[in-house]
Amino acid sequence: MESSLGDRLEQLLGGSAVLPVDGYEVDGLTPQAVVRPADRLQVSEVLRWASVERVSVLPRGGGTRTGLGNVPRTADVVLDLGRLDRLLDYQPADMTATVEAGVTLASLQEQLASGREFVPLEAALPSRSTVGGILSVGTGGPLSHAYGLPREWLIGIGVLSPSGVATKAGGKVVKNVTGYDLNKLYTGSLGTLGVIVEASFKLLPIDPHSGTLLASFPSIAASLSAGRKLLHSQAAPMGFHSISTGVSRRLQDSVQAASQDLGLGDEETALSFAFFSGRAKATRRRMEEAAALLLAEGANAVQRIENSAAKGMLRWITDAPSEISPSSALVIKVSVQSKSAARTSAECGDILISGEKPDQMADPGFGSIRLFWPRLPDEQTGSADNEQPVLDAVQQTRQIANRYGGSAVVEYCPLPVKRQIDVWGDAPDSLAVMRNIKDRFDPSGILNPGRFLGGI
Amino acid sequence: MEFKRFLKGLQGIVGEENVVHHSDDLLVFEYDGSVDRGLPEAVVFPADTQEVSQVIALAHEAGVPVVGRGSGTGLSGGAIAPPGGIQVAFTRMNRILEVDTENRLALVEPGVINLDLDTHARKSGLRYAPDPSSQKACSLGGNIAENAGGPHCLAYGTTTNHVLGLEVVLEDGKVVNLGSLARETVGYDLRGVFTGSEGTFGLATKIAVRLLPVPEAVRTFLGIFPDVETACTAVSAVIEHGIVPAALEMIDALTIQAVQKVNDAGYPDDAGAVLLIELEGLQDEVDEIGEEVEAALWETGATQVRTAEAAEEREQLWVGRKGALGALGSIAPNYYLVDGVVPRTQLAQVLGQVTEVGRKYNIPIANVFHAGDGNLHPCLLFDERQPGALEKIVEAGAEVMRICVDAGGTLTGEHGVGLEKKEQMPLVFSEDDMAAMVLVRDAFAPDNSLNPGKIFPDGEKHTPHAHPASPGMTI
Repeated sequence: MESSLGDRLEQLLGGSAVLPVDGYEVDGLTPQAVVRPADRLQVSEVLRWASVERVSVLPRGGGTRTGLGNVPRTADVVLDLGRLDRLLDYQPADMTATVEAGVTLASLQEQLASGREFVPLEAALPSRSTVGGILSVGTGGPLSHAYGLPREWLIGIGVLSPSGVATKAGGKVVKNVTGYDLNKLYTGSLGTLGVIVEASFKLLPIDPHSGTLLASFPSIAASLSAGRKLLHSQAAPMGFHSISTGVSRRLQDSVQAASQDLGLGDEETALSFAFFSGRAKATRRRMEEAAALLLAEGANAVQRIENSAAKGMLRWITDAPSEISPSSALVIKVSVQSKSAARTSAECGDILISGEKPDQMADPGFGSIRLFWPRLPDEQTGSADNEQPVLDAVQQTRQIANRYGGSAVVEYCPLPVKRQIDVWGDAPDSLAVMRNIKDRFDPSGILNPGRFLGGI
Repeated sequence: MEFKRFLKGLQGIVGEENVVHHSDDLLVFEYDGSVDRGLPEAVVFPADTQEVSQVIALAHEAGVPVVGRGSGTGLSGGAIAPPGGIQVAFTRMNRILEVDTENRLALVEPGVINLDLDTHARKSGLRYAPDPSSQKACSLGGNIAENAGGPHCLAYGTTTNHVLGLEVVLEDGKVVNLGSLARETVGYDLRGVFTGSEGTFGLATKIAVRLLPVPEAVRTFLGIFPDVETACTAVSAVIEHGIVPAALEMIDALTIQAVQKVNDAGYPDDAGAVLLIELEGLQDEVDEIGEEVEAALWETGATQVRTAEAAEEREQLWVGRKGALGALGSIAPNYYLVDGVVPRTQLAQVLGQVTEVGRKYNIPIANVFHAGDGNLHPCLLFDERQPGALEKIVEAGAEVMRICVDAGGTLTGEHGVGLEKKEQMPLVFSEDDMAAMVLVRDAFAPDNSLNPGKIFPDGEKHTPHAHPASPGMTI
């Protein structure tokens, strides 16, 4: 009998690198082996072996976004990069840092705080989310309006090719056009082109003051309209978010306490968050003007929160999608032009699953709207009866996103539904180029097979 | 295909009047802003995407290499025609198609001049942030190809941070869209990797860029320092205060002398370095941070500090910096411009080494640079009429690049590799690193017929030509 993949990996790296497979399932598939290499040399050995044996490899950071992407075609080996967790170089005066991919965002920010700096990456569950994972997913958070996406901050990258060959692009300087900008290619490629092992970032100084305005509005439409006005004023916040009642209901105690005077409770009420930071005086002026503007634009009430409590609010909004998703029947992130956010939110808000409207978290500055359709208590996942309404909702949401020139990514749905769709949506006309890239980088197709757009 | 027939084909697509092919007429297309030259076989001026697509498809069929050309201000030979190749010039595709104030974006054709877009956007209270010093002349298409920078990229990032979507023509004439008008798209970030690909992946025919709001207040500070080292400590002091200015620029003593000769910028004769800092934001921010900046300049040894907030007065403070390269013509007829980048903390030490190189080769070197992001611009001054001068300059330039790389930096911050620095690529990247890059090019352009012979070393010695230091030249 052939030895198992786990046995062969043990022979390759030693027993301590191979872990039990429990808890490493990907979209219902249990991997044949989980390997946790001690360093990048071992990662390289695993890849070299896997590419020769044509064993599929699913790279993994903190496992916080494992559900993102299509159901993999195969899931032979999960490659856990958690031990590559060193800060390799940090020069506060250069405002740059180089880290291994497995370092968690929380640990990195803590180390950078010693130099009063931070990297503007945003992710839910930062004590688990790793730099490599955040780059692979490539998405931002509540302050994307100000900071953009991880792509804006990555200045250099170290990658192991699917056959284990070490390559790099970019460097450690903040301005660099030497060679092609492969930083951009790897960021957001969901681990389908290579395994990120090292990354260098451009940093920012930590603002001395931060504040959050919490405002209630009679409806999400009203809050989005006010938000647009605010974002286009001199008092513009770093980010503005509106959440519908259903999301507010799942508020943490801290947020509930802060928002108790805001007259929440009405079914239609929406809560909005405006995040500010900077020098104390300017931040206070912005918040003052912003509060006045929001009230003038129809807010029921506005609450001002400063410093650590304000940061807590930002943390909550960042984590909220991952906390709410598991109790949802379907979660879709729609990305459109910012001016279309309100209309997208209104139209998508009318799409029903079993009679239920979606809860919403909308960012009218960046142009993204997350829709969470609640899971019904008596729902039997897997039965054909229940799949159809979800599939229909996906279809309808896509039509709306397409109409506004945007995209709709299914972030969470029942497995039987997921098996029938491409979670990334319709392929753009550049898909052929994307396939060309994948075929050249990973000719044996061993990295995250099938998980990306168009089955890449 | 016989060349005559190919030419007829081109004329059939764009009209006879939009194909230049007589050798006398082609001479102006032989060079860009770099030290390289190459005569194209023909220059084609298409009017729209469809014509670009047909031209490229025809060239592909005929096996003729193609290079795009914007305004020809590039500094690394990016727009120089490959042997036997044609240029597709975007002069006629210069319309601003849309400025969407609600969405804060602009849709433009590649031939639009950078400053024209900015000027147009400012009418609506918006701006296009990347501002290469050649912004009065350079085109957005060229900016995309080179991922152009500029003084204000310190706070706002380079071109790549502002590109939303691109319509591009691939080497077989196929038209595809990369990115979108939304901030986030699905799939590989092809517009990201396309930006800065120096015309080797395809030719952009429509460009969507982000626009930013014009800030409430802008204040410029000019500090005179006894020498570059002291000015560098001022840079560090500002950064240590947790301040990221919108721009942080420096010029050295030799440049100051040249500037004073040509255009009195009011610098004292014995000034060793001039540091320019610009702050932007709310008035309160500019006031509060401005005080800290001013204090930092005095504390680190500035002998003079001037500030201005009104646009005209600020312009006056920038005069010396903006006219620096042109002014160097008063010292020497030619210059060779290096574009190395180093970590900011290495600036003073690297500039010292650059001075050593100047001594070793007996070359005057003037420095004008983006101090905030460590992007040096040593200008090696010479007279091409002296036999062997140019070869010596190129050798010294390569040594400066090596110094930058050894200090943890790289070859080029904003000018591109092009022809000029391709043989230096192995200083930074291994064979494997470059092989991965070539895979991407192969995916976009399997026949490598777009701007071939650029970026990657091929051992082919290119023959540099001197560039006259003209008043119009800028960095």
